Amino acid sequence: MNGLNSRALALIALRFAPLMLFVALCIVFGALSDRFLSLANFRNILAQSTHVAVMAIGMTFVLLVRGVDLSVGSVMYLVAVAMGLYLSGLPLALSIPAIVLIGAAFGAVNACFVTGLRIASFIVTLATLFIGRGFALYLSETKMVFQSDTVQTLGRSSFLAIPWAIWIAAAVACAAWVTLTQTPYGRQIYAVGADPDSAAKAGIRVQPIVFSVFCICGACAAIGALISVSQVGAAAATFGYQEEFPVIAAAVLGGTSLFGGRGGVFGSIFGAVLVQTTANGLVMLNADPYLYPLVNSLIIFIAAWVDGRRRLMTERIEQRKIRVEA
Amino acid sequence: MSDLLLKVAGLNKSFFGVQVLRDVGLELRRGTVLGLVGENGSGKSTTMNILGGVLTKDSGRVELAGEEVQPASSRDALALGIAFIHQELSLFPNLSVEENIFLDHFPKRGAGIPFIDRRRLRDQASKALELVDLKVSPTTPVMRLPQGERQLIEIAKALTRQARLIIFDEPTTSLTARETERLFEIIGRLRAQGISVIYISHILQDVMRLSDDIAVLRDGEVVGAGRREDFTVERLVTLMVGRSIDRLFPEREPSQGPGGAALSVRGLSQPGVVRDVSFELRRGEVLGVSGLMGSGRSELARILFGLDPYSEGEVRVAGERLPPLKPRLAMDRGVAFLTEDRRGEGLMMEASIADNIVLPSLVERSRGFIRWLDPAGLDQAARDMAERVRVNARAIDTAAARTLSGGNQQKVVIAKWLLRAPSIFILDEPTRGIDVGAKYEVYKIINTMVAGGAAILFISSEIEELIGMADRIMVMGRGEIRGFFERASFDRETLMSAALWQ
Amino acid sequence: MGGVLPASSGGALSRPMRLVRLVLFSDYLVLALTVLYVAALWFAVPEIISPTNLNDIFLQVLPLFVAAMGLMMVLLVAQIDLSATSIMAMSCVVGASIMTSQGGYLAGHALAPVAAVLAIVAIGLLIGVLNGVCTIVFDIPSFLVTLVTMMFFSGAAIWYTAAHTNSGSSIGALPSSFLAIGYGGIAGIPYAALITVGLAIIVHLMLTRTVFGRWVRAVGLNPSAAAISGVPVKRVVIGCFALSGLFAAFAAVIYTARLEAGTPILGQRILLDVIGAAVIGGVSLFGGKGSVIGVLIGVLFLSAVDNGLQLLGLSLSSVYAIKGGVILLAAVVDAIRHHLLARG
Repeated sequence: MNGLNSRALALIALRFAPLMLFVALCIVFGALSDRFLSLANFRNILAQSTHVAVMAIGMTFVLLVRGVDLSVGSVMYLVAVAMGLYLSGLPLALSIPAIVLIGAAFGAVNACFVTGLRIASFIVTLATLFIGRGFALYLSETKMVFQSDTVQTLGRSSFLAIPWAIWIAAAVACAAWVTLTQTPYGRQIYAVGADPDSAAKAGIRVQPIVFSVFCICGACAAIGALISVSQVGAAAATFGYQEEFPVIAAAVLGGTSLFGGRGGVFGSIFGAVLVQTTANGLVMLNADPYLYPLVNSLIIFIAAWVDGRRRLMTERIEQRKIRVEA
Repeated sequence: MSDLLLKVAGLNKSFFGVQVLRDVGLELRRGTVLGLVGENGSGKSTTMNILGGVLTKDSGRVELAGEEVQPASSRDALALGIAFIHQELSLFPNLSVEENIFLDHFPKRGAGIPFIDRRRLRDQASKALELVDLKVSPTTPVMRLPQGERQLIEIAKALTRQARLIIFDEPTTSLTARETERLFEIIGRLRAQGISVIYISHILQDVMRLSDDIAVLRDGEVVGAGRREDFTVERLVTLMVGRSIDRLFPEREPSQGPGGAALSVRGLSQPGVVRDVSFELRRGEVLGVSGLMGSGRSELARILFGLDPYSEGEVRVAGERLPPLKPRLAMDRGVAFLTEDRRGEGLMMEASIADNIVLPSLVERSRGFIRWLDPAGLDQAARDMAERVRVNARAIDTAAARTLSGGNQQKVVIAKWLLRAPSIFILDEPTRGIDVGAKYEVYKIINTMVAGGAAILFISSEIEELIGMADRIMVMGRGEIRGFFERASFDRETLMSAALWQ
Repeated sequence: MGGVLPASSGGALSRPMRLVRLVLFSDYLVLALTVLYVAALWFAVPEIISPTNLNDIFLQVLPLFVAAMGLMMVLLVAQIDLSATSIMAMSCVVGASIMTSQGGYLAGHALAPVAAVLAIVAIGLLIGVLNGVCTIVFDIPSFLVTLVTMMFFSGAAIWYTAAHTNSGSSIGALPSSFLAIGYGGIAGIPYAALITVGLAIIVHLMLTRTVFGRWVRAVGLNPSAAAISGVPVKRVVIGCFALSGLFAAFAAVIYTARLEAGTPILGQRILLDVIGAAVIGGVSLFGGKGSVIGVLIGVLFLSAVDNGLQLLGLSLSSVYAIKGGVILLAAVVDAIRHHLLARG
């Protein structure tokens, strides 16, 4: 039984790897820059990580069923364009549901190809990434899209001394957490990710579940767009460009497995904070901005590697073909 | 109300033109256990799959409590009260026990409110676990539980759906002795509660112990059915194996008898898989390997060929040591391996017959550093080999393997290895799922190889096949060798008992 | 191997369905569509078949074809390489930095272009091997590995360029002996075309006439069966990634020669073109199916679409969107083919 114990220990170590990484990063950045370890800075990090956090939560739903959505960056841009050009006259109470609908509709388009034709999600969302951005660029004529005053105010103001962005993110997080842990639908998502065939045999409606997670991811991307564009004020042609990377990184760093069946809301939020902490730390260090993608990609890679090791070890522990009595 | 819960009559089913069930009929009374026995390929699994909604019957009638039923999916079957617990359990290791049990019918907070009532879930799960005498917390992730406990959870699952009939398919293959006892206790309790059980197992002693009634299937037909008191283990074996084997196996050419050792294995062990396996395979000999599913035969074959590792022991091919995990080296030394899964591991279904046949032999037939090939030459070689094994196909180099019948597909796999003229051929269930005519041809090919001096390791679950083809038979169980039998002392019952011995 | 009709179910289908199937499974469907498309556009923009335009298309096609052939290797073993264009970017800026007359490492040296080309090719090979090793050894899905390397080397290329040019956006002033690849030729045939045709012949022969080519198809169709048949699956997959990187580098050589500069955003726009051309050209995302001719047809189609849309005056964004749509369509056709074949 000793083999089992050391394996269990390794599993625990792997599970806490992101946390350890976070602590290590804070120590390193704190040591190298005196501006890093301050309350104001941490509040900054939190505020800036909200849009990635929200989108990572949406991405978690898709990753849980073994899918991926590479088009979230384009959804962001499309929503920002719609918001600025067509919905600017509306009060937030109307425009927010409208953009959520737009995001969900985009996700539904992805979902049709993935569930209906069973095409790999990465290729579908790679194509819609381009289609979405192209279409949005056509609408915006590649010009800067300014947001309405209401939106800009949202980005600047707070409620009870907490920025609106954090309230919105908290609301999304709560809704997502409740859905994933307290509803049958949520638990069935985990089952589908673990073993889609067994899930179908157990009587779970796999197709509608897979369809819906893409809609949720699109909707979260729309909310992320709102948060981000309200903080920035306008959307340039590169808004949301390559945003899928930090989002996927955040989800995977937070413990969501690329192989499905594992992950959660708080993990993804933590992952978003971790990613943003790295970005923030690099800024505090006055690091070369050209280094950002390098550091980000390394972090994603480490997260993916850890995820792979975890999966390998869990498989080995589960596999017991013949019980030869020792 | 009748005492009869389940009545099956006149069940027929064919796959790809091969009839696998012929006029099968069963009766099951309420609150009793029906033991179902038969060899692999006898039709047990097919019958149960039809009951469980996984397959549809071609013709026949299934009546549950007097009413005709036709479950079209496992969901339908569950709704009818039929729970099928497969050998490979379908639990989700990433969810907890209670979530697994109630996955598709969670207790909710209220009508129309989509939130799980955690308290009621906990209560109901605890009660279900009590029913199967499983003392684990309902919140435990299934990932942490051993196989025996997972099986009990499957039973608990079935009970919460008001199952009237629970079908167990080979439930004890991965259980320890203690877990098996616990399972039997639970089955006893189920009977007392009026739930009917169909118990499928190769372990005849268990079947005799648990069942009230027994049915024996052979070649898709029911060859014996009645109360348990009417049967003995010996009679069961005779019924399972029974038919005359004389006309089914081609004549072996009289040879000088086996030569020197082609393959010698000593003390081969791999934890959890095989233990202390030692034997010798001689040239010109067919060594049959018998045993139940899960006895380690296929695993042994994979280890010998180098696909899986071994931790202790020694494998020698023609006197020279063969290190673990080196399939290419094994191939170079003349070893060939026909796997039991021809669709998944034996053939590239989308590729042409010719492409399949030449694949393992490409390096030897290439020239130069770039490994240049001659497609015309390869096609010719493939054609010649296809002819030798009598594969029935129009265009070897364009027809995809997918288009062939099961028997022809198997012959293609054999052809692929024959092209290498192997000296040691490991065959794992070579005639599984192919019709009688094709089987005969496969036997003839094997005999020709043996006459030419090849050494054959013939793994099969059909005892009569081994009796007809082998010179010696090695019986395996639970990863170990149980015994060797010489041709002179081939006796069906003895062989069966050796395999079934617990 | 590509055009095999499913044999068994032919009898039960009605005539129009059989015709649809015939068309869908034909190898030359795309070529026919290309011709149709050009013919249709000829009414609106007759200059589409003018010699200058055709020449433009031709020269665009060459490096795209090379890169798509490399990507085909990865697709054949049922993997994906999203980093092909970043490999182009990284390798070309390094190469340019070696031979540029504005302070390059071997500026003015007669063999500078040769060294530069060697460096470009070596980088492509190395990154390709890196992709393969990470996918196989670390067991991380290839889309994620190549997504990471794409990000990494894209950023690295930008950083490298900025570091070498005082924050410029490209490295120019390349020696004319190198630029000859892009503009010069023998007997009227551009060097770029010679390189491309040469590579195409090599790939075609490799796939059809060598052991490695057969192994690649086997791994793509059924990795388990391939392993049991003695195919060194891991090495084959790593080899395919290496080839993808190598060919991306070759494409970079041609692009750099024509653009007359090493630029880190090289290829950013054409990732979709490269993958799309392969998929449109019949290379299956599920592995095991694809050919050099198919890729060529796919590249021609995509370039024609691109060119036509530009001539029609549609903005870049629309071209983006439409191409995305076309590729999605190709993936749909691929999936339909795959599922129909599996059932029939």
